Amino acid sequence: MPDSSVSYMTAILEARDVHKTYSLGKVLVSALRGITIEIEEGEFVAIFGPSGSGKSTLLHVLGGLDRPDKGNIYIDGINVSTLNDAKLAEVRLHKIGFVFQFFNLFPRLTALRNVELPLTLADVPEKESIQKAKDMLELVGLKDRMDHRPTELSGGEQQRVAIARALINEPKIILADEPTGNLDTTTGWEIVRLMKHLNEKKDQTFVVVTHDQSVAETANRMIHLKDGLIQAVKKGSGSVHP
Amino acid sequence: MRRKQIFGMAWENMKLRRLRTSLTTLGVVIGITAVIALASLGEGFRVTVTQRMEQGFELNVLTVIPGSLFAGPSRERFADENVQNITKIDGVEAATQVMQIGNVTIYNGDRKVQAFVATAVNFTDFIRVFPDRFTFETGAQPEQGRNDTIVIGYKVNHPNETTFAEAGDDVTLSLIKTEGTYPFIRSIIENHTFTVAGTLQKKGTPGLTNFDYWIFIPLDTARDIYETSESDLIFVKVSNPDDSERIAKDIEALFPPYRISILVPLTFIRQVDYIISLVQLFLTSIASISLLVAGIGIMNIMTVSVMERTREIGIMKAIGAKNLTILTMFLTEAALIGVLGGLVGVPTGYGLSYILSYGVSSFMGGQRQQDTVFQTPETQRAMVSPIFSVWWAVGAIIFGIIVCILFGLYPARKAAKLDPVKALRYE
Repeated sequence: MPDSSVSYMTAILEARDVHKTYSLGKVLVSALRGITIEIEEGEFVAIFGPSGSGKSTLLHVLGGLDRPDKGNIYIDGINVSTLNDAKLAEVRLHKIGFVFQFFNLFPRLTALRNVELPLTLADVPEKESIQKAKDMLELVGLKDRMDHRPTELSGGEQQRVAIARALINEPKIILADEPTGNLDTTTGWEIVRLMKHLNEKKDQTFVVVTHDQSVAETANRMIHLKDGLIQAVKKGSGSVHP
Repeated sequence: MRRKQIFGMAWENMKLRRLRTSLTTLGVVIGITAVIALASLGEGFRVTVTQRMEQGFELNVLTVIPGSLFAGPSRERFADENVQNITKIDGVEAATQVMQIGNVTIYNGDRKVQAFVATAVNFTDFIRVFPDRFTFETGAQPEQGRNDTIVIGYKVNHPNETTFAEAGDDVTLSLIKTEGTYPFIRSIIENHTFTVAGTLQKKGTPGLTNFDYWIFIPLDTARDIYETSESDLIFVKVSNPDDSERIAKDIEALFPPYRISILVPLTFIRQVDYIISLVQLFLTSIASISLLVAGIGIMNIMTVSVMERTREIGIMKAIGAKNLTILTMFLTEAALIGVLGGLVGVPTGYGLSYILSYGVSSFMGGQRQQDTVFQTPETQRAMVSPIFSVWWAVGAIIFGIIVCILFGLYPARKAAKLDPVKALRYE
């Protein structure tokens, strides 16, 4: 466990003594029980652990989607725990990109429009945003699928669209929640490879939540979570084997 | 978020749930239809009534009568001097005094017409005030200086579709006179013979002065008979009806306070117009209740819609949508329903007002028209034509949109306030 008294000035994402409890019916679940981590710019970090270990909650809190009960989150130096809803949404829009297990694309929109959506939220002029979305889809290898709706795409393709959407606003941090969880092994590895490629090419920080240790080992750093606490921090291989 | 995109998404969502959107919009359509139908009919009614009244009351003729509504009847009567003073007022074209003699019976041989009011006028002055009203069926305007001529109105001359007299006939008027001083007053009946100078065509003008029911004799003759130099009414013709209220004030100033009243048709018509406008507003307000019902429908459907789209809202928030953006998205849908409802409801409402108007007029047509004082030949078959008012249309559409937005506010706020994490987990 890293020493919390040491300040990492280069940390792009930081959690300090973060606690989070939520109620599941009448039962209170302590999802996070004092998490302190620093993630540096350009790192590829895996958070892994069994289900119920608090991985997803940690990812939500790190991405400003949820607020910790106690402790602070710093995104690119901003203490987001003190921000109001509107400011927090701004941070999510410009600094964070989310990738989900079930892709979470809008079924009625084409791949292109799905990718473009964050740009429309950021009030980028349409001409420019369409061009950017096209470029991004090309980058994830979906140049000729951009006018298809999600239902017309395979799982792997949908996840590529989701990654393109996460990257479109050029956020500093990409947070992926079980990005391979809903894909077959081969496709899953393709997605991991794509993320690793983007991480190296664009120097964007990736935090990937997974319960799959082989996926976690491709990271620079693996944070092992259990029962809302950090069990161990290990160095990963940093490369994709299969 | 770009406005165009918000509209696009709202429109897509409405198209996706086509049946639901149509039914919700139908509620708004019905509300706006009701408002526009009643407003158009009301406007038509208002204009018809005002027009009829303008036809009936010559807008440029003021009537000066003795007595006051506030101070009670007075024994004020008018003299030649009063008429001369009124004529001097700026904007007065002509003024004429009349004397009214009640309970007159006329005989033409064995024919008689009973119980009419004989109006004693100076024909030259009188026709100057009412030039359009003297068109003769037989004969012509009496020659000046003759004191034994009479002009008979259409209804008096044609009792039960018979003819009483023609120009040139000699008729006898039996007039009731009172003699003596109070309390020793007795009524005596005097007969006077007049030559019919002319009989009038049917004019049937509604209002206070329907000449169909009048008979006219020379003022000087009447004054001689009744041994007086006074008169009962003064009619004042003004050059511009818009000045009539100012002229009425000037006339009032010529008399001691509260001794006379002046009937100003313009004021009267304005009052009636105002009252009808109030009724129109009242009816339209009742109709707009149906719009509120439509609003509740919108609230209901949107609440369901927010629940169904919870996950979508979660995704929007995750990728950086603000609460305000979510709120705007849902309110845009509500507003679009309002716009759609308005665009369909306005023409439908206008159409409905025609159907209602035809329905009413055919119902009225089935009944025998009562031949009342308030009927003119040209308006007997008149119906109320609805009038389309752009202001009512714009007002109804704006009101519809406001109602939709107000009722959409609760579900839209609910959507905006959703916790993104819970929304993303929503199945």
